[in-house]
Amino acid sequence: MSETNPDILPAGLADLLPPRAEQAARLTRNAMDVFAGHGYDRVSPPLVEYERSLASRMQGTGRQHLFRMVDPTSMRTLAIRSDITVQVGRVATTLMASAPRPLRLSYAGQVLRIASDQLAPERERLQIGAELIGHDNIAAAQEVVRIAIEALSQAGVSGITVDLTLPDLVDTLAGTAFPLVPTEISSVRRELDMKDAGGLTALGADAYLPLLYAMGPFEVAITALAAIDAGGVLASRISALRQIVAGLPDDVTVTLDPTERHGFEYQSWFGFSLYAEGCAGVLGRGGTYAIPDGKGGEEVATGFSLYPDGLLDMELNGGDGSAGKLFLPLGHDRAVAARLRAIGWRTLAALTDSDDAVALGCTHRLDGNETIQL
Amino acid sequence: MADTLIFAIPKGRILDDALPVLARVGIEPAPEFHDPKNRSLRFRTNRADMDIIRVRAFDVATFVAHGAAQIGIVGSDVIDEFDYSDLYAPVDLNFGHCRLSVAEPVDEAGGHQPRPSHIRVATKYPNITRRHFERQGVQAECVKLNGAMELAPSLGLARQIVDLVESGRTLKDNGLVETEVITQVSARLIINRAALKKDHARLGPLMSAFRDLAAEQRQAA
Repeated sequence: MSETNPDILPAGLADLLPPRAEQAARLTRNAMDVFAGHGYDRVSPPLVEYERSLASRMQGTGRQHLFRMVDPTSMRTLAIRSDITVQVGRVATTLMASAPRPLRLSYAGQVLRIASDQLAPERERLQIGAELIGHDNIAAAQEVVRIAIEALSQAGVSGITVDLTLPDLVDTLAGTAFPLVPTEISSVRRELDMKDAGGLTALGADAYLPLLYAMGPFEVAITALAAIDAGGVLASRISALRQIVAGLPDDVTVTLDPTERHGFEYQSWFGFSLYAEGCAGVLGRGGTYAIPDGKGGEEVATGFSLYPDGLLDMELNGGDGSAGKLFLPLGHDRAVAARLRAIGWRTLAALTDSDDAVALGCTHRLDGNETIQL
Repeated sequence: MADTLIFAIPKGRILDDALPVLARVGIEPAPEFHDPKNRSLRFRTNRADMDIIRVRAFDVATFVAHGAAQIGIVGSDVIDEFDYSDLYAPVDLNFGHCRLSVAEPVDEAGGHQPRPSHIRVATKYPNITRRHFERQGVQAECVKLNGAMELAPSLGLARQIVDLVESGRTLKDNGLVETEVITQVSARLIINRAALKKDHARLGPLMSAFRDLAAEQRQAA
């Protein structure tokens, strides 16, 4: 085998270069400022933890995607985090177990998974989120959805769509109005997830068919959902969804897809995903869930995570906010330069008299007190 | 959203059956589409907001899963092989019927030898094949071929093959016999998950039209 380039990065990993790295930092800063403004306190858990602790709080297939290694100190298995939410869950139910509830925490950092696929080839992602621990009621859901939207729009994202879902709906209906034996539940859920009407009929689960048609723009879908006679099981959910939607900004498109399960493996009664115009995939997900406290009990919570990597190549409203790059020739007045920086200029000071302002990307040159366009 | 919708349809087997179905929901490709000399891959339609692309069956699923096309028609074999999480397959269009089967040389089939723990299979469907044999406790080593699977057993490439079977004619002509049906296959409508959420105004009615059409045809049958 021929020698490969020693500097090539492993598959699914990439350097963030200018201006993408700056965009990532700006998105993070904006979102964290929004969270802080709403009373969320930042926590910053470590990159690596004992695998057992991380995996015990993960549901579904997540734990298969952990990078693992052996800790030479303790000889126990370590794992690199693939989801900061579970770390925040650990912090909330252990170190901050006695902090007053509701506990509002926020976080931002890189996460890693061991395997990727063709659709999502990246193995490292930026995760930004906020969790409200101690409540999973309507008020908590309202707050969390509003803050998620605010974080995106503050970052200049426009054309936002929020898709609402009821993650445990099938389980609830299977135990009450539309009985299913436990072995059928996963097949029914799969067909619902694929939106496959024929598949549902083939399973003899025709009762679930109307759920497929209760998707789309919120008003239309919620009316269709309300028309399903499920013996009152749905009524409280419908009313809750209406209350959540009532408080959302007008320029946000709201859709409903009550049987969406994809990405909602651990959520309970309420879930939502965020999309933006011009960005192909989902930007973030959230909802209500329960954190296992490690002692057999659990604590309810509501929260969301954004995965904004899809936004790094987009032109966002509000841009990078810089007035331009100003070249400072040798012997310039430092006080003038400092004043200009204070009003938003980025300056680039000459180190030799052969420094080329244009080649270095400057838009202006300082001449005395004047900025001259290049 | 005024972006052009891209409808992906596969070359080959499914195409001839798909065109009348498209016509029934009001989508007609531009005349160039039917010109065999035309080498374009993308065509206008009678809808100003929709173009059709004609690609290989496996690529239909890939284009739609990535959101490069928003909607398409493809065999359920392709959907099962990729198992893309970002695809909806809301409608069984009830044409393009065939099955995905295991076949092996006539003279070796039957008999009741114990199953080996490891076999070699020539196929275009390595994921479905691996999953199928895994369920039987057999580790299948797949030799990925893109066509002419039927040659593999006689030339010693693999003893078994997994391939689409329509009439069974090709198998017979090559001295093979179908030993097991893995799954029945038919054409499905597929839609990109994110696109359906963001552009339900256009994709929702299309989905309903295909659904109504399929229901109507099932009732007529």
